[in-house]
Amino acid sequence: MSAGQQYLLLLGMALGVVCVVLSLYGLGRAIGPTRQEPGKDVPASSGVLSRDPVWGRYHARYYGYALLFLAFDMEMAFMYPWAVVYKEVGMVALLDMGVFLAILFLGLLYGWSQGAFRRQ
Amino acid sequence: MTVAIVLLALFGSAWLLAVIEGWITTGRLSPAAPLYSGLAHLGRESIVPRSPDRVFFEAAPVLLMVVAVLGMAVLPLAPDLVIADLGTGGLFINAALAYVLVAVIMAGWGPDGAYAMIGGWRFLGQLIAYSMLIVMPITAVAMRAESLVNTAIVGSQESLWNIVYQPLGFVLFFIAAMALSFRAPFDLPTAEGELGGGVDAEYTGVRLAVLRLARLTLVVTLASTTTVFYLGGWYGPLLPPWVWSLVKTLAVAVSMMLAGRYLPRIREADLMRWCWVLGIPLALVNIIIVGLLILVVP
Repeated sequence: MSAGQQYLLLLGMALGVVCVVLSLYGLGRAIGPTRQEPGKDVPASSGVLSRDPVWGRYHARYYGYALLFLAFDMEMAFMYPWAVVYKEVGMVALLDMGVFLAILFLGLLYGWSQGAFRRQ
Repeated sequence: MTVAIVLLALFGSAWLLAVIEGWITTGRLSPAAPLYSGLAHLGRESIVPRSPDRVFFEAAPVLLMVVAVLGMAVLPLAPDLVIADLGTGGLFINAALAYVLVAVIMAGWGPDGAYAMIGGWRFLGQLIAYSMLIVMPITAVAMRAESLVNTAIVGSQESLWNIVYQPLGFVLFFIAAMALSFRAPFDLPTAEGELGGGVDAEYTGVRLAVLRLARLTLVVTLASTTTVFYLGGWYGPLLPPWVWSLVKTLAVAVSMMLAGRYLPRIREADLMRWCWVLGIPLALVNIIIVGLLILVVP
């Protein structure tokens, strides 16, 4: 199979799964419809609908990690092609990537020394 | 034909896993229980919360299901039993699994409920912790196979499985896979005891059934990934290749569940700290060790 056909097949599978789930929903509805009643559809919060949107009440305290994550994630984009040709290129490849990783690792150490990994 | 066989294997494994899970928790072995439970969910009410982001709320279970199935599609059960043997298989798995986070965040954000929201944000924190431990060990695996094609990765393990060649990578990947499938002890987004179900909290009826099936399928997919990358895929004596794949996959999945049963839930802050302070340096060391090994022992 060519690459294009394989991706088409994967797309078809994704659509197929969606169709199966939709037909399950249809089956569920056919067995018994949901009666809409006031009070039934309040999200789990002790039965009281919160006045404000709930996202205002929870603070995601990991932006330090998020920045480091971004750096390492970009690095991974280079690692994959590097890994495939690694054996051919040999020692030079290890040294090149070693320097690159060392610089990133210094960033990790700097973040650590500045308390980026402490619970805020 | 291949598609049908692989999907049958996937959902059959998920069903077996549900049976075993019930066996572990209740002590009763009842093979039909997952089917009854699924049917019961079909008959129950599917309530949509009052002020949801309706698109996110509806998309989350479907997306999780699609992700689990697509991940399985590029994993070989036997040399010729793979749905799509992509040239970028290892990367495709990564890309597909990245959407688990998207689905869980959608499930958390959609219903506008406090428990679900906190579950979703927690999973975002969990991703920042585990994500690097998924991608870095895969790089080391690809280095040995000189390819990202999954059948080639299995082929590179004919003489020696990767679990022996790079045990450190296996341990990191296994932990990260457990965190990615958000089962105990990494079940932060759905913490039953403290969040009342978390992202599951607002889902009822048939939508909950799909969500739970998707989570089970995800566990099977991840166990299969571990098998392909580290346990030599279909290699094994006597039995036909596909049997070995299934046996190994089930063994990994069950060991994931058993590990979860005997460990306390990890706090999100601790998980992030340990993964970054300990896990990522170890993953880099793993890459360097494997790199040297490949040059020394071809």
